[in-house]
Amino acid sequence: MAVVVVPSLVAAQAGGNKRFEVDADTVGEALRGLPVSDLLLDERGELRRLVNVYVDGVDARDSDGLDTKLEPTAEIRVIAAIAGG
Amino acid sequence: MSPVVLVGTKKGLFLLRGDDARTSWEVEGPHLTGWQVFHAVRDPRDGKLHAAANNWVYGATAQRSADEGRTWKRSEGLGLPEESGLKLTEAWHVEPGHPSEPDTLFLGGAPGVLFRTDDGGTTWEPNRALLEHPTREKWQPGAGGLCCHSIQIDPTDAKRMAIAISAAGSFLSDDGGESWEPRNTGVAADFHPEENPEVGQCVHKLLLHPARPERLWQQNHCGVYRSDDRGETWQRLDKNGLPSDFGFGLALDPSDPDAAWVVPEEGAENRVTPDGRLGVYRTRDAGESWQLLENGLPSQAWAAVLREGMAYDDRSIAVGTQSGSVFVTSDGGESWTEAASQLPPVLSVELA
Repeated sequence: MAVVVVPSLVAAQAGGNKRFEVDADTVGEALRGLPVSDLLLDERGELRRLVNVYVDGVDARDSDGLDTKLEPTAEIRVIAAIAGG
Repeated sequence: MSPVVLVGTKKGLFLLRGDDARTSWEVEGPHLTGWQVFHAVRDPRDGKLHAAANNWVYGATAQRSADEGRTWKRSEGLGLPEESGLKLTEAWHVEPGHPSEPDTLFLGGAPGVLFRTDDGGTTWEPNRALLEHPTREKWQPGAGGLCCHSIQIDPTDAKRMAIAISAAGSFLSDDGGESWEPRNTGVAADFHPEENPEVGQCVHKLLLHPARPERLWQQNHCGVYRSDDRGETWQRLDKNGLPSDFGFGLALDPSDPDAAWVVPEEGAENRVTPDGRLGVYRTRDAGESWQLLENGLPSQAWAAVLREGMAYDDRSIAVGTQSGSVFVTSDGGESWTEAASQLPPVLSVELA
């Protein structure tokens, strides 16, 4: 199973769960299966602009984005871009 | 239940719990930490809290709490249909629906959109008539985006609604939102290339008087106005003694349709209270004259009160500033108590 790790603010919206085990072939499939998918993907299913996703340390946007293939043991880290105020 | 001021801030939601006299307040929270709470309200029909909460990274959400803010549930699938070509950018204002429709609430957002829920906030449907309004291409965003920030429901008829969008103007519906008619005749739009445009007015806050629902008040980018005919015509009131035409917040007295309170700011180019102090202005003669109220308000202040930064109930008025203070009056503004200070910048207040 691949693992998705989300930031604490997102985890707070999922009952405090920070790590999710997912059975998914792609990044998009993994994110869409999360109970917080709406915070990471917009209403078109596109990755929100300031949400970065790293698959085993590689920025998914530098691969195939949401179509990036996952190894069965992949670790997907969701990290917010440096933004705010 | 003790009185509560719900304070939406740039860094979460605070609850100020007051004593029965409403002179002593305790700060509770923050809840929804990490979220900018543009507006939060208690649904008087079931006591639940609802919040329009936004985050730079994670977008716009509508959230609800059945336990005074300790835990929250996020609505499902909040967004705009693909064929609209639009995406939801911010949630601005939650308005509980008419008492005859206990599970119905409305949510205003950007870009100039309105949602309705009929299941207490679990799912929301965008209002098609507004989304596809024939004048939409003429709407222009203000500094806060193209936001639908005011939603008012006529207590005598659930189908009669008034909304306002900055900068599109005021719109009224007689059919529960199946159609929307612009109601901006006589409202200035000094920034607009046309002299009297049908739409494009920059309403900052629109309120309907609950005891006289044909009477509307608005604080606009270009003046303060009152309408006695559901927006068919508007009378400008800021020349009658206000220090400026510019401001955001607006409060009414549910027992006196002739009363209103505003917090003028210097102007669009310098959005702070004039004369280096925080002053609230009141009319009790339907805007024929205005009286400065400052007892208990800071005599040295360059404050800014946002469009959701003023609220009223049958006893009190609350004012929240971007400097993180909340002031409450329970004698019509004759005296004010600082209920909280040093909060994050206040985006909204509601008395609950």
